[in-house]
Amino acid sequence: MTLLTVEHLYTAYGAVKVNHNVSMTVGEGEIVTIIGPNGAGKSTILRAISGLLKPKQGAITFDGRNVTGLAADRMAGLGVVMAPEGRKIFADLTVRENLKLGAYARKDQSGVDADIELMESYFDILATKRDAKGGTLSGGQQQMLAIARGLMARPRILILDEPSLGLAPVMVKEVRSVVAAVRDKFNAAVLLVEQNASLALAVSERGYLLQHGQIVASGPIEELRESSLMRELYFGEQSAQAGE
Amino acid sequence: MEILIQQLVNSLSVASVTILIGMGITLIFGLAGIVNFAHGEFLMIGGIATWFFVGMGLNFFVALVLAMVVVGALGFVAERGLFRFTLDRPMNGFIMSIGLSVILQHVVVRVFDEFQKSTPDPLNTVWVVGDVHIIAMRAVVVAITAVVVAITYFGISRSRYGLALRASVADQSTAELMGIPVRRYVTGVFVYGSILAGLGGALMIGLFPITPFVGSVIITRGFVVSLMGGLGNVNGAVLAGLVLGLVDGFSAGYGYPEWTDAYSLVIMIVILVVRPQGLLGGTLGPKAS
Repeated sequence: MTLLTVEHLYTAYGAVKVNHNVSMTVGEGEIVTIIGPNGAGKSTILRAISGLLKPKQGAITFDGRNVTGLAADRMAGLGVVMAPEGRKIFADLTVRENLKLGAYARKDQSGVDADIELMESYFDILATKRDAKGGTLSGGQQQMLAIARGLMARPRILILDEPSLGLAPVMVKEVRSVVAAVRDKFNAAVLLVEQNASLALAVSERGYLLQHGQIVASGPIEELRESSLMRELYFGEQSAQAGE
Repeated sequence: MEILIQQLVNSLSVASVTILIGMGITLIFGLAGIVNFAHGEFLMIGGIATWFFVGMGLNFFVALVLAMVVVGALGFVAERGLFRFTLDRPMNGFIMSIGLSVILQHVVVRVFDEFQKSTPDPLNTVWVVGDVHIIAMRAVVVAITAVVVAITYFGISRSRYGLALRASVADQSTAELMGIPVRRYVTGVFVYGSILAGLGGALMIGLFPITPFVGSVIITRGFVVSLMGGLGNVNGAVLAGLVLGLVDGFSAGYGYPEWTDAYSLVIMIVILVVRPQGLLGGTLGPKAS
């Protein structure tokens, strides 16, 4: 069953056009990734889907309903939830307050309390640091909190923007198992954007390759991995980074 | 000693009005990022509305509630009709609010007149404790303000809405991603701040006569209090309002009364030079993303 459909999406920041004619789908319980070099417009697609940015053109459908241009707070209420790039933990609020805020759109208070316990038992650092300010957590801990906070909304699709950005290699591995758990334990589909292509390829089932704001290749992850364009782009990005 | 205690009660009642106006300014700026220079006129309209309703034969405290409703509605219209469109450009909103303040003054002068207005003493009681004479209305003003301060403080620090507001101030986009309807809350905070101004105006006319031009004096004091306390910080506004009210009261009683306003401004300047973030620390306003 298709959960999310994006059709002919065009986005822009003012006069600067970002995405051209992007079409994609995410199925129920599927893990889908968008990969591509820096500045390809990956995050902008996510901003449009999550309601932070109004699309210039195109349609977004969620669960059979047209949600194009719906504001982010409404999208969260429907079950389309994004853990934003850079984690964006509320630094002056406690870990527990951050979790509570994740469930803001929910009405079932007892379910929320139960889910806080569930998150604390799954990510033990959240129990240990329950009353610590979000800003005092390490990058990896903040990433776990960001994902848990997203899950607190009981999303049907969790959108992860660069979850491994700036994390130590050991934490990147952790992110990998958490992404799989989002689907398997919390029954949400995942739409993942990652610079770290090997992570994205390892956890996802299907992928879209983005270049200059457009989708240039798509398909099951094994096919995408073998595509020449993918190799070229990924390799190109590696050497560009090495040159920095 | 009696004089000291009387001065204290008088100062606190004046401080109450200052606290109410400063708290409104600090909330609206801190949470909504709007600098509303017409906030003083909102207070003036609260006072004039109270005078009007009392003139129609209503009880003072009924008139006070109606005045809060009137100013709350005015705040709603101003936010939805004007400030909503300048959220991205706060400087435009600020200049617009200066225009709005002049227009509101003129509307009031046009509808009524430019003369001073007063209501009969709402409570004709003086409490005598030993040698101390306390005018009951002044004590009531202090008590009402204390209750409003407590409600506001606990609303922000303890309630679910308060938590959402603090999150919205810290990071608007992320707050929206959590499902918080930030825009509606901005309107809510603006209306709440306006209602506080309406209350301040009603209490003020319960204490002394006011003119349609009182807003421009009171707005300065409101900004002094909110900056001194730290913008966006309710506790700061209360503390600064108390400091200012006491300085005013005692300088009127013991110092040079004609220097009253200068004292408070000198204190503000010193505080802002030494502690730019204000007494208790404030925000720089909400961040857009």
